[in-house]
Amino acid sequence: MKRITIIILACLLATMAAMAQDGLNINRLFDGRYKKTAGATEIIVTGSQAHEIGLTIYHSVSLTDKTQAEIIENAVARDGARAIDKEVEFRNGQLYYGFYTMPKNKRSNRYIFFLNQNLARKAPKNVVTLIYMEGSASADKIKKLIRK
Amino acid sequence: MKKSLYISSQAQLETLIGQYFEGMTTLEQEDAIRQCLAHCPWSSQAIDDARMVMGYFAAHAEQQHNRANRATRGLRQRFIGIAASIAVILAVGGYVLWHQSQPNDVCIAYVNGKVVEDNDKVMALVVSDMSKMDNAANAMTNQLSSLGEALELDNE
Repeated sequence: MKRITIIILACLLATMAAMAQDGLNINRLFDGRYKKTAGATEIIVTGSQAHEIGLTIYHSVSLTDKTQAEIIENAVARDGARAIDKEVEFRNGQLYYGFYTMPKNKRSNRYIFFLNQNLARKAPKNVVTLIYMEGSASADKIKKLIRK
Repeated sequence: MKKSLYISSQAQLETLIGQYFEGMTTLEQEDAIRQCLAHCPWSSQAIDDARMVMGYFAAHAEQQHNRANRATRGLRQRFIGIAASIAVILAVGGYVLWHQSQPNDVCIAYVNGKVVEDNDKVMALVVSDMSKMDNAANAMTNQLSSLGEALELDNE
């Protein structure tokens, strides 16, 4: 009986650890903190509307607050370290653009986009955008999607 | 093939019945007595007693057999019931888990602290997001192609 209890506990701990690893650093930025912030735009699309573009979750935040840019960049960089595929561009030592393909969550593909328009050469804007996408769509399909 | 015992007279039957009650008969003889008691027209005190006793045992054996069958059937039905219950629980549980894992229909945006719930407006914002990313990705591609062009020019 003792052995069975130990095995069950070990399985539970392993599951919890796996679930903890599954979480992304950017998740905390989507906790609703920017919903009422001036100069911020947060978009949440799930279900049928997201399904139309081959996704199950579309979540983004765009901020004009420069102080937040660093926080977002740090979170993205930490998640980016675990990405299975990435396209990134740094400008002046700062992350300008990043497209990360993250390890799958269950069966869903996960992608993170980051863009700091402050670093744009043509018409820079004081806007930092973070997008999280999840769904069956492949990375190529996502790229096609943004080129529509 | 084994030849079965044939009882040809009432006297032979009564003798065998006597041996049966003394426990002296073989299985073959007992079968023959049973067959004969079921079909022969003979009657006497010994034959009638034997008919009653063997009939009771036969009925009892059949009853036992039926009871065992009922018990087996009952067990089987119980097993099927349990299996069906487990299947239903698994199906319902699976559906609930699947349903929970499916995000609800949400299409909402918060712009400068204001809620936008119009699907078209929200999707327009999504398109705008993607267009920004596209421009940045294009800038990267352009940079790469201009690098390539520069290298080609340098090598000429």
